[in-house]
Amino acid sequence: MKTPTPLVLELIDAIGEEAVVWHDEDLLVYEYDGTIDRGNPDVIALPATTDDVINLIKVANKYDAPVTPRGAGTGLSGGALAAKGGVIIGMNRMRRILNVDVENKTALVQPGVVNLDLGAEAERHGLAYAPDPSSQRACTIGGNVAENAGGPHTLAWGTTTNHVLALELVTADGEVQWIGHDTRDEPGYDLVGCVVGSEGTVGIVTQALVRLVPRPTAVRTMLAIYDSVRQASNAVSAVVASGIVPAALEMIDKMTIAAVEPVLNTGFPLDAEAVLLVEVDGPESQVEAEGARVEGILNRFEPREVRSATDPEEREHLWAGRKGAIGALGQIMPNYYLLDGVVPRTKLPDVLDGVYEIAERYRLPVANMFHAGDGNLHPCLLFDEREPGATERVLDAGGEIMRLCVDAGGAITGEHGVGLEKRDYLPWIFTEADMETMKSLRAAFGPTENFNPCKIFPKGHGCGEAGHQHAQQQIAKFGPKAFV
Amino acid sequence: MAGAETVDTAGLASLLDHVDIDQDRLQRYAVDGVVPRAATRAHSISEVGRVQSVATEHDFAVIVHGGRTMLGLGMPPRRYDMALDLSGLNQVVDYEPNDFTITVEAGMTLAELQRHLATNGQFLPLDHPHFERATLGGLCAVGRGGLRRNSFGGPRDWLIGMRMVKADGTPIKGGGKVVKNVSGYDLPKLFAGSLGTLGVIVELTFKLRPQPASDQVLAINAPTFEAALEAGRAASQAAPFLNGCAALSADAASEARGLGARVLHDQPALLLRANGLESAASEVLAQALQAAREAGLEGPERSTGAIVETWQAVVDLETQTSTDHVRLRLGLPPANLGRAQQIVNRTFPEATSWIAAADSGLLFTEVPSADADTITALRNELGPLQGRLTVESAPTELKQACNVWGPSGPGARLMHNIKEQFDPQGILNPGRYVDGI
Repeated sequence: MKTPTPLVLELIDAIGEEAVVWHDEDLLVYEYDGTIDRGNPDVIALPATTDDVINLIKVANKYDAPVTPRGAGTGLSGGALAAKGGVIIGMNRMRRILNVDVENKTALVQPGVVNLDLGAEAERHGLAYAPDPSSQRACTIGGNVAENAGGPHTLAWGTTTNHVLALELVTADGEVQWIGHDTRDEPGYDLVGCVVGSEGTVGIVTQALVRLVPRPTAVRTMLAIYDSVRQASNAVSAVVASGIVPAALEMIDKMTIAAVEPVLNTGFPLDAEAVLLVEVDGPESQVEAEGARVEGILNRFEPREVRSATDPEEREHLWAGRKGAIGALGQIMPNYYLLDGVVPRTKLPDVLDGVYEIAERYRLPVANMFHAGDGNLHPCLLFDEREPGATERVLDAGGEIMRLCVDAGGAITGEHGVGLEKRDYLPWIFTEADMETMKSLRAAFGPTENFNPCKIFPKGHGCGEAGHQHAQQQIAKFGPKAFV
Repeated sequence: MAGAETVDTAGLASLLDHVDIDQDRLQRYAVDGVVPRAATRAHSISEVGRVQSVATEHDFAVIVHGGRTMLGLGMPPRRYDMALDLSGLNQVVDYEPNDFTITVEAGMTLAELQRHLATNGQFLPLDHPHFERATLGGLCAVGRGGLRRNSFGGPRDWLIGMRMVKADGTPIKGGGKVVKNVSGYDLPKLFAGSLGTLGVIVELTFKLRPQPASDQVLAINAPTFEAALEAGRAASQAAPFLNGCAALSADAASEARGLGARVLHDQPALLLRANGLESAASEVLAQALQAAREAGLEGPERSTGAIVETWQAVVDLETQTSTDHVRLRLGLPPANLGRAQQIVNRTFPEATSWIAAADSGLLFTEVPSADADTITALRNELGPLQGRLTVESAPTELKQACNVWGPSGPGARLMHNIKEQFDPQGILNPGRYVDGI
């Protein structure tokens, strides 16, 4: 029988026995998130109130224990992993929507509220919450805030940072404060802008006031099937150049089609190379006219077929292949490694060619699904971790793909975060002075060294350099600097 | 100030190229009556770096100047040795129209940028007063959302990358040139709205939008400003995709008319703007107009072809004032706008020029004079409505007596920590920002 450590005992004192998880078998599920990496927390604490969070942080600080905030654990960069052990603070019990203000179009929510639940509540009031990451059925607003989550519909509406107005934040020193203001009129630095996307490294959000947007009165979804990725890419360019800002502009490639078709009966021909999904929304007459124009453009690039729907159920069917893509990949290989790179949109076709070339060289099947309108690509490398050396090959190929994005003038993450996974690549886009400046911003939030440690920034005391050997190899190969 | 006195004015001039110490010419760089000892114009990022490293070494307080359209903002400077003029740093660095992004130097004016983008049918969705003079670095440093912030947001929402020079002269950057990016902390957001207190913004990258196929403006008169405000509220509820919804008092309408908004008469009015495809813009305006009529506005609506001139005239009014007037800006949830306006009007019955963004909760007015106690009392009354009142320009005596930003919020502790990290010597725009920063 394991005996509780003094840290565990004091955490139990702070928030109660039922809210503290510390038996080895119970800790297992907290070792993972959506990445290949894993971490080993010593204890999980599940606060129910802001005061609980304050007390937990104070106890952790007393024992010098690392603190890692966690939402639903769907993150794709290792942000919620306890890289140095210590305490994971899981926010799932704080899951209430506290208020929806219809006239001012805002919602006040606790961080454990699931993204889709907030969307559904907004919908009841004729409004919408715009950021819609693919994990929206599970992921939480707190996690979305930490990662500055995006999603297909951020092309027109922006990412989480454009939709968060104010936050109740418990900083690493255990102090609580509201930052921001209902209409962004609080004078002073944009603290909310600093916290959104800081990947849980400066504090824990305990309440969020978010902006809701008017629900479009009409929506039209169009799907076009092409015989080459180039054709589809050219169609994307033509849509964007036409002056229309679609609500979403997504693409999936042949490997993805092969994965989704048998499971979801999407009706995609298995020999097609690319499927393009375009959605326009807004007032009725706008959607009608823009939809017709988009359809005309899609048809110019010799599609096999263009489908169109305005009815919610039919639209859902058109989306099924894109939204269900990740889940369906298990059909092809037991494991996948989902990358997140971003490049200037016009570079997308060339970068895609490069992605296929790298995958082939590493003998890895690759499925591509991406936010084509944003230049945000998600190559998904498929593998079987039981095969010796497969994981290393995947990580090496991943590093090369990241470098490809950087060399094209892009960045190493568009919406998943740097986290644990890509921290070694940060020097590819930022100088030492840039990173020191970011660290000084972090220091302004208190004693943050132990707060979600080993994330975002390379190196760090006790962060297990050896675990990221693959990254070190890539750095050695390409040199540490790019700075595009 | 001990350090600043170690170098006399002539010595200061010898440390840098292109330093102007002519007393007459330095007057144009005065801030709240404080004239700097020297001014310098920088034409490159490395020149800005050189200025800052010299300023750090000799402890000069530096105020960065762009188009000087918002100089009334902020408290009087605690100290001020050198003006750093960036109006010569005004080139396009990188523009790929098909990526819908542009990188420009900080001294470029908003109007110049818009002209450049218009050749490709694109634009940067921001309103700012005096856009012929306002520089992008300056309007980002000020960081306030404008009259159309309900649909546009503010500078923070369009900035995707930034280069800055730190207080000690080190060049740094944040963000990048891609429209979606979460690599590293979002330093551009931190610098947007920091009023030159954390570093010198030298280069900016924005994401862009295509120009709408159709842009339409309608004006309709109202019996009173309050009626225009109420109708605006109804219109923005009925037509949430409105691009702009401004209510004006009779005096404001007549001033705006003088500045080029010919569609306005000398009467209170509601100005509605919609864009998109022509049919859609018309549909949105029709919905808004119907709601405004149901809310009591009568008389014919008037449209105008002079969209930009009309709208910009109203936007310019936000800061159109003689320096001896007191200009107020109030931001709050739009549902509270009517009640807040009554409170402000009760406090200042002499206020006659009013503009409001009825869809986003912004209210501007000006009064001939005010005292600090009145401002404080007004803020206390507006607090429960989530109102944030900024004195955007005022005679220096009033600024010395009252806090133009209002009382510090709970984030002040963090703000001081950030300032301490970024400018430990306190040489960047000292004393003018929130809570004495």
